[in-house]
Amino acid sequence: MQSEADPHFNEVQDTPAEVDATFRTLRRIAITYFVVFLVVLAAFPVLTITLDWWTESRLIGNLSPAFLFAGVGLYVVFAVMGIAAATLSSSVESRMLGHQRQGEATASESWADTSQQKPDGS
Amino acid sequence: MTTTAIVTLAAVLLIVLGVSVITRPRNTSTVDFYLAGQRVGIVTNSWAICGDYLSAASFLGVAAAVYVSGLDGAWYAVGFAAGFLPVLLLVAAPLRRFGEFSLADFLGRRLNSDRVRISSVAMVQLVILCYLVPQSVGGGITWDLLVGHGVFGLSPYTTGVLLSTAVIAVIVAFGGMRGTTWNQAVQFLLLFLALVWLAIVVTSEGFRYGDAVEALSQGPLANPEGSALVQETNYIQPEQTAVFGEPGARYGRLGQIALVVTLGLGTAGLPHVMNRYFTSPTGRAARTTTVWVLVLVGMFYALAVMLGTAARDIIPGAVADHPWLEELTVNGILRVPEHALPVLGRIYGDEAGLGLVAAAALIAAMSTVAGLLLASAATWGHDVYERHINPRATQRQAVWAGRLTTLIAAAAAAALAIALSPEAFTPAMPSLVATMVTWAFAVAGSALTPVVVLAIWWRRTTAAGGIAGMLTGGALAVAMFLGASFMEPSALRELFAAPTLLAAPVAFVVIIVVSLKTQAPDSADASWVLMHGTAADRQAERLAALTVKDRRRRRAR
Repeated sequence: MQSEADPHFNEVQDTPAEVDATFRTLRRIAITYFVVFLVVLAAFPVLTITLDWWTESRLIGNLSPAFLFAGVGLYVVFAVMGIAAATLSSSVESRMLGHQRQGEATASESWADTSQQKPDGS
Repeated sequence: MTTTAIVTLAAVLLIVLGVSVITRPRNTSTVDFYLAGQRVGIVTNSWAICGDYLSAASFLGVAAAVYVSGLDGAWYAVGFAAGFLPVLLLVAAPLRRFGEFSLADFLGRRLNSDRVRISSVAMVQLVILCYLVPQSVGGGITWDLLVGHGVFGLSPYTTGVLLSTAVIAVIVAFGGMRGTTWNQAVQFLLLFLALVWLAIVVTSEGFRYGDAVEALSQGPLANPEGSALVQETNYIQPEQTAVFGEPGARYGRLGQIALVVTLGLGTAGLPHVMNRYFTSPTGRAARTTTVWVLVLVGMFYALAVMLGTAARDIIPGAVADHPWLEELTVNGILRVPEHALPVLGRIYGDEAGLGLVAAAALIAAMSTVAGLLLASAATWGHDVYERHINPRATQRQAVWAGRLTTLIAAAAAAALAIALSPEAFTPAMPSLVATMVTWAFAVAGSALTPVVVLAIWWRRTTAAGGIAGMLTGGALAVAMFLGASFMEPSALRELFAAPTLLAAPVAFVVIIVVSLKTQAPDSADASWVLMHGTAADRQAERLAALTVKDRRRRRAR
């Protein structure tokens, strides 16, 4: 008999359909952020070629926008993007998974059991 | 040997051995030896990943690259830091949820193929070797500068390589992942504190970042070749001279992008970093850990770039007051750019300052060597010995196989590091340590990242596709960066020197084409529920909550 101390007690399993829907949403988020990431990286050489202001003007601490971007700005951009993407992905998973009723778990449980097997069948 | 050198080395040894003894593994199980029981918390793991990732290439190499190439050197830092964003977006949580011992194990099980596992082991070992050698070189350079003497008739450099590698090899072999995790976490904090101390000291002594860049950019950028300074070529505008604060001293337009893509994509294929994710308790914890890592490495690299600039600005003016600098410089410019941070430490903190920075450099090299040796042990001990050589091995035998392979990998890396002399390479490679690490990133990003990403995000990926892509990407990357050594400076050479920009897309295409022509594994649907579902996460979180509740209840009694 299951008790509250048993971690499997009331544990809600994920169905393949739920997982697939979540996967598609997460894939969209990952690709969107990845494209933004590439655009940010590609912006540097493009701005170097097209904009004299980029290397010649002076901003905070008497640094040029190019030096400021490579020396400090990019790390801030990466951190902000990382925090935003992680928050969004975790929130999507919380909303889309783990809400299925106990009786509906049979199919996914059997899949999960299969997937725990090692290739040698152990 | 000076008193400072003795105190520094004793402190490093004390810290490393102390942490190892306190955190020694309680059980002789492979889960404990390779994965620290899969119970490493978010903060500890983020520090440990930083300790693992921030190597001699990051501590000595980034500052050295900025010192020698100005703004173009900062691209190393950008690429190293950028790598964790693709890891966060594409790899961390699903990789942990799938849950294995190593990257090769993950690929082997996901694609349901022992041939994939063996091919991955080969690529992983190539990456580890490319990464291990420069760490040992970093250890040798630091010993040379700090101690200046060898033992048993060996040169100081050789002594440094042998001792730093041997100490960490023994610690990893007997401390396993648990000891290594805590060592790496503590070592990262020490490393970071050394950098912060240096930044505070140079700033309080009058260094102004913007003004320094402005002053350094007034004249052409020149570096030592032999006993003279030679002006750097401007690769973006060849008719103008290269200057410190503008792009072009090291890379053309294609070179900047190629380097950042190579470093950025390489991180997701680095076995020692990816293996750390298997120690997280859940996929969500692995993702949150990566956010912490992004913030911490961003701060670290911003400081490293600033200090490379500070070294370039301060050292020429310091030669008159510090005669010991004459031996290390040509007209005020360091002969070996990796000396930039240790020299700054000595200028401002005298022998104690040199000791602190040198200790941090040794720690940086050692913590990364630890992670690499453990990843090597996991691939040989678990993926080869346990899976193929002795499938009936007891836990004790498997752990001993891991320990033995740790020592063999360390010996190979030390031998290669001794065969290379950093000074001989400096004219061709402005920062030998950073350049060699770029090779490791190139192989990882070209051979392993494409197959890892597609195995996680494309259900149709097959074993044949994975092997074809891995071998194509790896072979192309190696051929390109070796070919670059024989080419004259040009855009093509820049692309070849940082080959992932070309090799990774080729690998992606090969995996997709071959996979579409072969049968996908039957287990793909089950793998999807495991990688992209969160039931195991919720169960682990529930178990953790119950454990905490139980502890509180016991305390209340």
